[in-house]
Amino acid sequence: MATTIPFTLITPTKVIFEGNAELVIAVTTEGEEGILPKHAPFLSALRPGVLRANIVEAGASQRLELATGEGFMQALPERVTVLVDRAVGFEEVDISQARQEQSEASARQKAAGTDGAAFAREQAAIDFAVAKLRLTGHQ
Amino acid sequence: MASVKDLRERIASLKNTQQITKAMKQVAAAKIRRAETARTQARPYADALGEMLRDLVLAAGSVDHPFMKPGRSGAPPGAILMAADKGLAGAFNSNVVRAGEIYRGEHPEAVFYTVGIKARNAVRRMGRPDHATWPLGARAKLDTARDVAERVAGDFASGRICEIVLISPKIVTRISQRPELRRLVPIVATEVAGENAPGGHRGAVEFSPSPEFVLSHLLPKYLEFTIFSAMLETDAAFFAAQLLAMSNATDNAGKLIDELTIAMNNARQAAITKELLEIVGGAEALSG
Repeated sequence: MATTIPFTLITPTKVIFEGNAELVIAVTTEGEEGILPKHAPFLSALRPGVLRANIVEAGASQRLELATGEGFMQALPERVTVLVDRAVGFEEVDISQARQEQSEASARQKAAGTDGAAFAREQAAIDFAVAKLRLTGHQ
Repeated sequence: MASVKDLRERIASLKNTQQITKAMKQVAAAKIRRAETARTQARPYADALGEMLRDLVLAAGSVDHPFMKPGRSGAPPGAILMAADKGLAGAFNSNVVRAGEIYRGEHPEAVFYTVGIKARNAVRRMGRPDHATWPLGARAKLDTARDVAERVAGDFASGRICEIVLISPKIVTRISQRPELRRLVPIVATEVAGENAPGGHRGAVEFSPSPEFVLSHLLPKYLEFTIFSAMLETDAAFFAAQLLAMSNATDNAGKLIDELTIAMNNARQAAITKELLEIVGGAEALSG
């Protein structure tokens, strides 16, 4: 069995996952970042995207894939912590709703122009909608 | 002395009231559990976010972020006043409102933002009908917290206000709350990092791309989450206050019912005695 590291995925309303992982891949502001056990201490901001992890449950390796909102990822020698606004699994995604969210956010972003905060907020909404679609293989 | 009929009617009305307060007490007891669960579930996020913030501040030292610098001098302070949407919870809302009024006494020019309908009404009564306001319930608290945070952060950044304080109920024990005033922004690095914080800084940490950049993402999130968790606490505190208030109201109604029942029994007995005396008196008069 591959080496593992304790991994926690937390949203403000729930601890989504707490267990051991062989690998955690998240979309940071700088691009995708994969964390293996014994990674150097690391802290980064996350963009909305698809978070993937190889988790070990009951001795068997499994794939965890979730669409996540904005957040942060911290890797320490003894654990990996991911904090996100929200996280949804494959079966929770409503595809037509995600498409609608994407187009609505795009429209709002166009209307907002280049106003920093509003632009960034709508971009995050677009990214999250796209992440949900990617997760379900619709984009 | 009130008639038997009057007393009976008052007792019936009190019994109705008692049923309502008893039902509200039970509802509050159920909701308190849910609110407490929400608070417990938010705690891991709070702990992790606080730890990351500490690491970042320790790594970055003084940071060139608006949140960590004093606001524009001369600008009025901004206060977020947080209370419940509903009443019937004893002095819960008025305690918070009083804390807000004291704050306004000290800072007459303060800009108010309110969360919760009772807080909104109070600030309107202070003569600020058009301040920014959000309900405590209504929709997802996280979304509301984000809106509040964006608004106050925007006003702070644009120099409309020079600091952001939060006045909200704090849970002291399970049944007692008191309003608490906290300064949210500017964030003081030494306060966040703490003196010789346990766990401290873990040596070389890689920040992608830089501690300043990550911090500039984390600080608004921190503000947002602090407001969110204050909302959860307000919610839980409100139901605790309501539970106590309704429990007291039920007890008081019970006491009043007991007193009135005795009065009614006395009145009824007096009426019976009076009738008997009349009958006996009448019979004696006839036989005599």
